[in-house]
Amino acid sequence: MIKSLLFIIFSSILVDNYVLTKFLGICPFLGVSKKTDTATGMGVAVTFVMLLATAATYPIYYLLLERFGLQYMQTIVFILVIASLVQLVEIILKKYIPALHKSLGIYLPLITTNCAVLGVAANNISDDFVTQAGSFGGGFLMALAAALGCGLGFLFAMILFAGVRSRVEKANPPKCFKGLPITLVSASILALTFYGFSGILESLFGLQ
Amino acid sequence: MIKAILTAAVLVTAIGLACAAVLVIAAIFMSVKENEAEKKIRECLPGANCGACGYTGCDGYAKALAESKNGQVKTNLCIPGADAVSHKISEILGVEFEDTVEQVATVRCCGDCDNTEKKALYSGMETCAAAKLIFGGDTACAYGCLGRGDCAAVCPHGAICLDDGIARVDARKCIGCGLCAKACPQKIIYLMPDVERQVVACSNKQKGADAVKVCKNACIGCGLCAKNCPTGAITVADNLASINYELCTRCGKCGEVCKRGCIRTADYSGKHRQKSAG
Amino acid sequence: MSVWKNFIKGIIKENPTLVLLLGTCPTLATTDSVSKAFGMGLAAAAVLVCSNMAISALRKVIPDKVRIPCYIVIIAGFVTVVEMLMHAFVPDLYEALGVFLSLIVVNCIILGRAEMYANKNTVFDSAVDGLGMGLGFTFALLCMSSIREIFGNGTWLGYEIPVICNFKIPILVSSPGGFFVFGVLIALVNFLTKKEPKKELGCGGCPSAAFCSMKNKDGGCAEEKEAEIND
Repeated sequence: MIKSLLFIIFSSILVDNYVLTKFLGICPFLGVSKKTDTATGMGVAVTFVMLLATAATYPIYYLLLERFGLQYMQTIVFILVIASLVQLVEIILKKYIPALHKSLGIYLPLITTNCAVLGVAANNISDDFVTQAGSFGGGFLMALAAALGCGLGFLFAMILFAGVRSRVEKANPPKCFKGLPITLVSASILALTFYGFSGILESLFGLQ
Repeated sequence: MIKAILTAAVLVTAIGLACAAVLVIAAIFMSVKENEAEKKIRECLPGANCGACGYTGCDGYAKALAESKNGQVKTNLCIPGADAVSHKISEILGVEFEDTVEQVATVRCCGDCDNTEKKALYSGMETCAAAKLIFGGDTACAYGCLGRGDCAAVCPHGAICLDDGIARVDARKCIGCGLCAKACPQKIIYLMPDVERQVVACSNKQKGADAVKVCKNACIGCGLCAKNCPTGAITVADNLASINYELCTRCGKCGEVCKRGCIRTADYSGKHRQKSAG
Repeated sequence: MSVWKNFIKGIIKENPTLVLLLGTCPTLATTDSVSKAFGMGLAAAAVLVCSNMAISALRKVIPDKVRIPCYIVIIAGFVTVVEMLMHAFVPDLYEALGVFLSLIVVNCIILGRAEMYANKNTVFDSAVDGLGMGLGFTFALLCMSSIREIFGNGTWLGYEIPVICNFKIPILVSSPGGFFVFGVLIALVNFLTKKEPKKELGCGGCPSAAFCSMKNKDGGCAEEKEAEIND
């Protein structure tokens, strides 16, 4: 079990990186990656919200929606739950952990409608961890592991890219490439490096 | 059919209502009272978030002011806002008003084209930050001004000009916001109180013999100034003289004895104040 | 503004993907094949037209403070409808698009248009605007997917293209190729229009723009979008 959890975490960080391989959460990836500290803040906040969102949506899907045969309401319910959850977390943080609210607070409302978060919640359902693990509890653990891995992968990509961008900003590309185009091209090179990780985990964990 | 629609509607409504209820309860029970004074102070502050007050931006300063007791946090720390803002803050907090000590930026380098040389030919982007990326810049002195005007570019009042390869601050235009100090990749721009006069215009920390090689005006850390200072305000550390402005009486002795000509008199006193008064 | 002008602006002058730079996620993710891109574009266009109409019709009913959550729920409803329709009639495409179909909910274009256009204009105008924007999105996706599929896979819509299929560049259909082609395409648009290139992603279309505190902050998203909203 632990092995498969680790496998899920590492594969979602390195091989199936949400930003660079699955193209989820591109907006914050390009928008908030100008400075390393904001990139880190955003990454941590996303990881946090992904974990929370999975913890909330996974039981709701299996205990409520599936029982009543309402799987098709998944999108609406998920976005409702995630949005209110983020609000709730913000209120709680503001009250009890103001320091954390100060550093993560500005990113939280941004994340409500981040496609990476909704993507994790939806992917966790479609990956069908319950059948893989054989029980609801095991599936829940695996879903949480996947959420953690995706969040960490997002954080990792953000920090790496912020570093790349600080150099790219100083470069002098052709005029029409200035701004977003050159950023996208450098993101492509970063994605290329992550491409190299495919297959690494199978050999690491001894699976074929 | 009807049953399916009803279950869907009821369930989604129930989830929505549950979420709403939780949020409302949370909003009522966990609301954080915002300090009234803090809000008001924040509105007075200019919002440049420059950090010249020593706090993390205007929010931080407003918070510190609102929470301070017996005026521990001074109301006159906002440099860009100057006297007007500190008057307002003092009013809100009901404490006595003190003059703002105006700050002015100084470039601690005097290695202009006559005194120092380039060690390499650089033809990249014309910004200090970019030049610094390549072997620490093209100037012979690794500590010196790179002279490409990153500071001038960020200066909101056009107070910095590039002259003879180094940046110079026009004290009359400087508002003491400290943006240039943050922009400088060499970290050789400092804010100092408006009234001080003696400045060690060098940041070179190399040993004397090496410093001489890179710049005619470099401080070699000989300690002559320290020996001659009547109040002991000058110390030499890391081969570089530094002046403690709390002890300095502005006698000007250090400038006279310095053989390297890197202790200079910056006559700021008054000019800046006149400008803000007028 | 005439109806035609209103319609055509979404396709060329204010093309949501290539000019306004909205909806980058689906643009990158679904353009590795033309059929996927086409499906995605049309699905988004359908949702866009419906949601624009609904939001415009309800614009006087929805309280201003909770408008964003309301918009999202309305959009989510239409997305679910489109999802179910596609599941029933084009199951292959439904499978291929996968999670991105439900992610239309958080597509910046749709919420952006609701916020920028539909809540200020009549139902008919909003529908035309939605159609134009939707087709503009489809058009951009088609352009990009054609480049990626033809040069990356040697096919177009599944049909093999002679000569080119012997010189495939497979990296173009993979993720790094997506970023690369998109970057070059935007650069090309900049070059052709000779406009000052947009520096960053705009904020106006970002679903969170209304309550985003990063909007005017250095290091956050850019703020250039303000001007566009005021237009």
